[in-house]
Amino acid sequence: MFQYELKKVFLKTGGRAALFLILILVGITCYFAADVYYVNENGEKEIGSGAVRELRAVQKEWAGYLDEEKIRQVIAENNRIRHSPEALSKELVKENIAYGWGQGIAEIRNLLNCSYAEGFREYDYYRADALSEDEAGWFYENRISLLKKWLEDEAEDMFSEKEKEYLIRRYDSVQTPFYYDYMKGWTQLFEYSPTVIMIVMLILGYLVAGIFSNEFAWKSDAVLFSSMYGRNKAVVSKIGAGIFIVTAVYWGAVLLYSGIVLLYLGADGLQCPVQADRSGWKCFYNITVWQKYLLIIAGGYIGCLFISFLSMLVSAKTKSTVLAVMVPFALIFIPSFLANINSASVSKILSLLPDQLLQTEMALNYFSLYTVAGKTVGAVPVLLAVYTALTVMLAPLVYWEYGRKQIG
Amino acid sequence: MELNVSHLTKEFKGAAAVDDVSYTLRAGVYGLLGVNGAGKTTLMRMLCTLIKPDKGCITWDGKDIFELDGQYRKLLGYLPQDFGYYPDFTVQDYLMYVGSIKGMRPATAKQRTARLIKQVGLEKEKKKKMKKLSGGMKRRVGIAQAVLNNPSILILDEPTAGLDPNERIRFRNLISELARDRLVLLSTHIVSDVEYIANEILLMKDGKICVAGTPEELLAPMRGQVWSMDVSKNKTGACRRAYKVANVKTTPEGINLRILSAQRPSENALPQEPALEDVFLHYFGEGAVEEDVSI
Repeated sequence: MFQYELKKVFLKTGGRAALFLILILVGITCYFAADVYYVNENGEKEIGSGAVRELRAVQKEWAGYLDEEKIRQVIAENNRIRHSPEALSKELVKENIAYGWGQGIAEIRNLLNCSYAEGFREYDYYRADALSEDEAGWFYENRISLLKKWLEDEAEDMFSEKEKEYLIRRYDSVQTPFYYDYMKGWTQLFEYSPTVIMIVMLILGYLVAGIFSNEFAWKSDAVLFSSMYGRNKAVVSKIGAGIFIVTAVYWGAVLLYSGIVLLYLGADGLQCPVQADRSGWKCFYNITVWQKYLLIIAGGYIGCLFISFLSMLVSAKTKSTVLAVMVPFALIFIPSFLANINSASVSKILSLLPDQLLQTEMALNYFSLYTVAGKTVGAVPVLLAVYTALTVMLAPLVYWEYGRKQIG
Repeated sequence: MELNVSHLTKEFKGAAAVDDVSYTLRAGVYGLLGVNGAGKTTLMRMLCTLIKPDKGCITWDGKDIFELDGQYRKLLGYLPQDFGYYPDFTVQDYLMYVGSIKGMRPATAKQRTARLIKQVGLEKEKKKKMKKLSGGMKRRVGIAQAVLNNPSILILDEPTAGLDPNERIRFRNLISELARDRLVLLSTHIVSDVEYIANEILLMKDGKICVAGTPEELLAPMRGQVWSMDVSKNKTGACRRAYKVANVKTTPEGINLRILSAQRPSENALPQEPALEDVFLHYFGEGAVEEDVSI
């Protein structure tokens, strides 16, 4: 039965075209994610695998713990480059040569811009240029003091005292000094992960939307429901087919994307804390890059599974494939419209909608906090727990809804 | 082997589609005749557990079919009026799939599929996609899926709809072959479909079974009430207003009418052997014959 349910989906031209479309779109996303360049000693921009090798080599030279000494060295190196004749020159080529020298410390320099910024939410690209080596010791303390200042001023009304304490505690408890390594593969992978996961979700929505409604459209419902297993095992096999399609397509696409990007850009830095890169500097989840990757792909899978089940429920309830296809679109696009509403309670709700699981990369950076049973937690663990439970509950609901259908 | 229907009622939007029907069906071929909207399909869908009755119950050998659930449906073969299929499945795939949802072991389903494909004359088309088949071929696949599990109860809703005369005869013969030792309920509004093969005929009107019996039993009261007479063209209208006219035939001499009447309609009227079409006309009226019955 199960194999025939899969055949119903993939024997259709649309089903096969959807798979092909995923391959194309993942390919395009990989192309953008792998768009990394290196400026050589002549100030010329290089692209391709050679450029990746060069960039990796120069950044690897600075791999290690970002202790005070290392920060001092980075500030010194940045100042040396900044004061070089090439950097001070007005000639573009010479400026490029100077830029090229700074590629090895570029990512750490970004961290300096974050740490020594004027405000918690500010980022000044040239802030690192104004630093002296004596200031190296403030690197980690700044991270906490900026947060505290922000919580006292700008964000005073955004969080309860308990939540503020929680955030400060999280910042305090992160293990320092951070271990830094070349991690371009991961950062690029993370940046485009919401795109890939949302593409997969929208196409999955199309693939699973007909599993429960096609029988009605093809008028084969009467034969199905009058057969021995039509109201029990056949429904289970439909649910099984839905889970299988979501699992196979999701993991196929995500692992293909991850594999291509990491093979091309390298998988170094997976044990680094997420805070060792500008994209995760403010993150209050004290996790490694590898753990972030696991959260992103697990969140994406749970999100896809939940939305697909919801789509299947709509399909079973309304007998309409069109309505079922619209479910993922609605769940992905409506929250982005509502995000413009400037309200703390609305944003608290929006942070718990299932689209957040498809963009866990971003959810990890949001300061969305919830108090569950007296304990303050971030949105990500709440999302993972709530939608896992809801997905588990949806399966019997779909079974019950479809199994009791009457064909009038 | 007894399928018992007791005080069965089903309403849609306040109107009774099936109205307090009680009947017992045993092994044999039953023809369910009635005009469109008489409630045949609703009755059959309840017998197939596709819809639940509002009142009354259906039992199989004394047990409620909705409680028997899958155990009852295991014995069932159903060809719906609007037979749908999976357009991208081949004939063979489709039958194998139906075999799986009917709880057949794959080896048995494969064997039965091969035999039935041969029996319904679709050997050459077995690898063809369902959407590429003609209407008649699809109908043959429909009957093959209905009997795939060798059902004790075979319910066929308007099985000959859309078939040409040759296919209809072929289909009728096929049902006769398959009918042995089963309960076959065949609904149609084409009298000739059941005339030769039904052991018992149920006439359904306004949600009720108004008459039931063997063809002989139905025909018996009509004896002496069917007449043939020649009339001039200008008297046709008057005759049609005065009597139920089963047939109008133009002849070189004028018009020949087949009339249903308890009294001899005219001196030159000749008594005729009644046919089921006459019974149908008698119960459902001339409009029903013209609109719904192919005579």
